[in-house]
Amino acid sequence: MRDEDLARALKADVDEILPSSGFVASVMEAVRLEAATPPPIPFPWTRAVPGLAAAVLALVAAFVVVVQLARTGVHSSAAVAWPPELVRAWEIANDAGLGWIVAASLLAFVCVRVAMRVAGARG
Amino acid sequence: MSAAEDQADVERVLAGDIAAFEAIVRRWQRPLINLAYRFCRDRGRAEDMAQEAFLRAYRSLATWRRDAAFSTWLFAIAANLYRSELRRIPAATVSLEAVAEPQDTRAIDGGLEDEDRDRAVRRAVYALPPKYREALVFFYFHDMDLAATAQSLGLREGTVKARLFRGREMLRGKLPRLLSASGLEVSG
Repeated sequence: MRDEDLARALKADVDEILPSSGFVASVMEAVRLEAATPPPIPFPWTRAVPGLAAAVLALVAAFVVVVQLARTGVHSSAAVAWPPELVRAWEIANDAGLGWIVAASLLAFVCVRVAMRVAGARG
Repeated sequence: MSAAEDQADVERVLAGDIAAFEAIVRRWQRPLINLAYRFCRDRGRAEDMAQEAFLRAYRSLATWRRDAAFSTWLFAIAANLYRSELRRIPAATVSLEAVAEPQDTRAIDGGLEDEDRDRAVRRAVYALPPKYREALVFFYFHDMDLAATAQSLGLREGTVKARLFRGREMLRGKLPRLLSASGLEVSG
């Protein structure tokens, strides 16, 4: 079969389908519904950024404290340099298993982010 | 279909006249539904997919940059959506045997042989791998030029050219089997 015959056969309108009679009305109904729906509220990044930054700083500070306490031991002489409230807070957090809670939360966060990314890539 | 009409309707919609979108839907419903049908081969699903494509176009109307034709932009949105839909729920695979149809009996009287062959050729396109099929569908079935096909598919013109060439070669390779299965002969 020559190129021009192939092109002519491919361009022939022999298998066109016609839209159903209610198609335009159905699309316009969906469009009107869409227009009537208020736009989604955007995440307030400008307000959240200071809070997020503070949280990150607090986490870093907590990490530093934990590392130092772990190195010296809570009851060693070096630990005495820390304010007693902080030492008490550390003891309470340690008793409550805060490390595991933080680790589990981080793991959950990572899982959700990965799942959302995968779903977004496929959607 | 007039590009000026498209542009005017888009401006009206963006200015808040939602009813102007109806003219766009009326103008493009047939090409978009047919494009969807060529992706999924299911009439009902094709209309659902085309409706979703129109909704997406409505939502992102403000992002249409006038450097591309409205039709190209619309087809690009539709093609992306249809691909995603088919990844989610794949269409039934079409084998070469399935696309071969018995010859129309009226052709025995010398009537519809050419039309039957054309139909057989077009149906054979659906048995091609998606990347070749899509290029052929946009270029031939929707009568787009190389540039519009490339923009709609998000590919470079050279890639589309290569896919069209390869697609035609594959089609030519399949045709004798398909036409003999349909009771037709290869001409030329």
